[in-house]
Amino acid sequence: MPRFLEQPPIFLFFTGKGGVGKTSLACASAVSLADAGQRVLLVSTDPASNVGQVFGLDIGNRITAMPAVPRLAALEIDPQAAAQAYRDRIVGPVRGLLPDDVVRGIEEQLSGACTTEIAAFDEFTALLTSDTLTADYDHIIFDTAPTGHTIRLLQLPGAWSGFLETGKGDASCLGPLAGLDKQRAQYQAAVAALADPARTRLVLVARAQGATLREAARTHEELAAIGLTRQCLVINGVLPADEARVDPLAAAICAREEAALQAMPDALRALPRDLIALKAFNLVGLDALRHLLDAAAAPAATIGDLALPDFDAPVLSQLVDDLARAGHGLIMLMGKGGVGKTTLAAAVAVELATRGHEVHLTTSDPAAHLAETLNGALPHLTVDRIDPHAETARYRQHVLDTKGAKLDAPGRAMLEEDLRSPCTEEIAVFQAFSRVIREAAHKFVVMDTAPTGHTLLLLDATGAYHREIARQLATSEVHFTTPMMQLQDPARTKVLLVTLAETTPVLEAANLQADLRRAGIEPWAWIINNCVAASRPVSTLLRQRALNEAREIDAVAHRHAQRYAVVPLLATEPVGVTRLLALSHPVTPAR
Amino acid sequence: MSTIQIYDPALCCSSGVCGVDVDEALVYFAADLDWAKQQGAQIERYNLAQQPLAFAENAVVRAYLQRSGQDALPLVLVDGEMALAGRYPTRTELARWTSGSGNASAPPTACAPGTGCC
Repeated sequence: MPRFLEQPPIFLFFTGKGGVGKTSLACASAVSLADAGQRVLLVSTDPASNVGQVFGLDIGNRITAMPAVPRLAALEIDPQAAAQAYRDRIVGPVRGLLPDDVVRGIEEQLSGACTTEIAAFDEFTALLTSDTLTADYDHIIFDTAPTGHTIRLLQLPGAWSGFLETGKGDASCLGPLAGLDKQRAQYQAAVAALADPARTRLVLVARAQGATLREAARTHEELAAIGLTRQCLVINGVLPADEARVDPLAAAICAREEAALQAMPDALRALPRDLIALKAFNLVGLDALRHLLDAAAAPAATIGDLALPDFDAPVLSQLVDDLARAGHGLIMLMGKGGVGKTTLAAAVAVELATRGHEVHLTTSDPAAHLAETLNGALPHLTVDRIDPHAETARYRQHVLDTKGAKLDAPGRAMLEEDLRSPCTEEIAVFQAFSRVIREAAHKFVVMDTAPTGHTLLLLDATGAYHREIARQLATSEVHFTTPMMQLQDPARTKVLLVTLAETTPVLEAANLQADLRRAGIEPWAWIINNCVAASRPVSTLLRQRALNEAREIDAVAHRHAQRYAVVPLLATEPVGVTRLLALSHPVTPAR
Repeated sequence: MSTIQIYDPALCCSSGVCGVDVDEALVYFAADLDWAKQQGAQIERYNLAQQPLAFAENAVVRAYLQRSGQDALPLVLVDGEMALAGRYPTRTELARWTSGSGNASAPPTACAPGTGCC
């Protein structure tokens, strides 16, 4: 029995960034507890969820008993559908009464990540506070957890004064909370259940990678501060050390994972911890799930008797050929955290500069060493870095000094919490980036981030960008375009979506693409990073991973992307010009 | 005592924080509004993003939105009649509506350049 399942309380939440294996672990835990005689309800919000597939029946948004596993029932919540229902509650009554563009504007306000998150929490509330459910089940397991931002928002008294209770709003509004349809007392009870160590345990799921561990540490601290003090850490998908003996790539991955675990943030080190070995099998089917938590299930390392099909996906240098043709332009790499945007932005910049183009690489990577190693390394390449924390802090302070100065205490608390939303950081960072966007008229500007379509639409709707740009250009030029107009023009801007060849990361990238399309921006290409199949591994375990990637690569190539490239998982950390160039020109190792 | 109703444009997040910069007109107006409330003014304020129904249910506001679009907000009604459109009122205007006289002695308002209030 892994430590995170020892003496479990009634509520178990799994949290971690997309693709770390939250849903698989939640399913495996539910089966394990049910097998041990407990009555278990499994709640999945994973849009890539194969919960129904695992148990061989359609589940959907109703509690469904699993015939294959006695004592287990499951429920699927679709956060997007919940958010849509939530939007309909607010917008529905005025549709047809107010002009269409007004209705569209209100819908956009309610189309951000925050709304989806709050709508999902709205659904959780009933599960956390129902006396019937807590009597019927010994454990309720969630494959996701609300963010600190959402919980803090719900805890603020300022969020509830005003129109939720009196029907009257004021100038300091509370955004997506407006559509909540339950009573304040019920949300308070839900938050209290979360913050009660006797009832709730949080399982932080991470991989043995620096970025995901740092993010887990942030989540740990944020949620502990709210009262979710009972936490465990699971490092999922650790490559067994035995593999290092048979495969140089596996040896490099083992060494990298070991180093990441050594450098684990202190905050995480104190938590009860489990390491779950990477499995060769796909986590589909009850049998596979029963073996996920089983340490003995790891097979001995073998050299691949498993044949890999030929691999001839386009490489990054082929994409750069197309990019280079224009001679200048804005290139933005976009994707969820940890997929390698900064590294690939650097690889594209280095490749363009090597071909003699003037390139300005701008990065927001908190690890500054990338920018430092590249500065002055190549003719035609300039590198600068903006610090997201510094930019966000400056922006927050500016807003608090101006807007916040006139607010009363509850209003100011609301404003401060709003300024901790992910949107605020995105806006602050993009604002800093937008200062170099204009350079793209005569050289290449490569950035390792891009605003979401939602943010662009909101910024455009407020007109704030027009004012800002007009002010910047007032003295020099007559014509101006907004960043949104520039981003929509494929001749001037190319957005590259970065993802990994795994189910959830591909789905997340597809969601980013849909969001950009809403803002009239068509991503120009997709890049699949850290691809094991492209590395032609030797060990059977890695070969199995490579085979598992085929379905996702196919989905990117044929369903999502106009054009794409695949970047192999390399044995060495891609730092410095030579290694960055190698990302664009992979050498297929001899078989 | 007159009732002043203010129909705000859709302010994103809390109070337009998402903009590249905070609209100073809103900041100064908030202060003027506080002042007017202290003078006993009856003031109601609606945000298009959160209370769209308040816009849809008022015939004057609905017609105004249909005719001029949301860019033409804010809209100010005094006792149900259109009193000001396209900008926020000054302290002097608030005083006039509150007291029913144009000669109310309003203290000098804090004014930002370019906000159209001075």
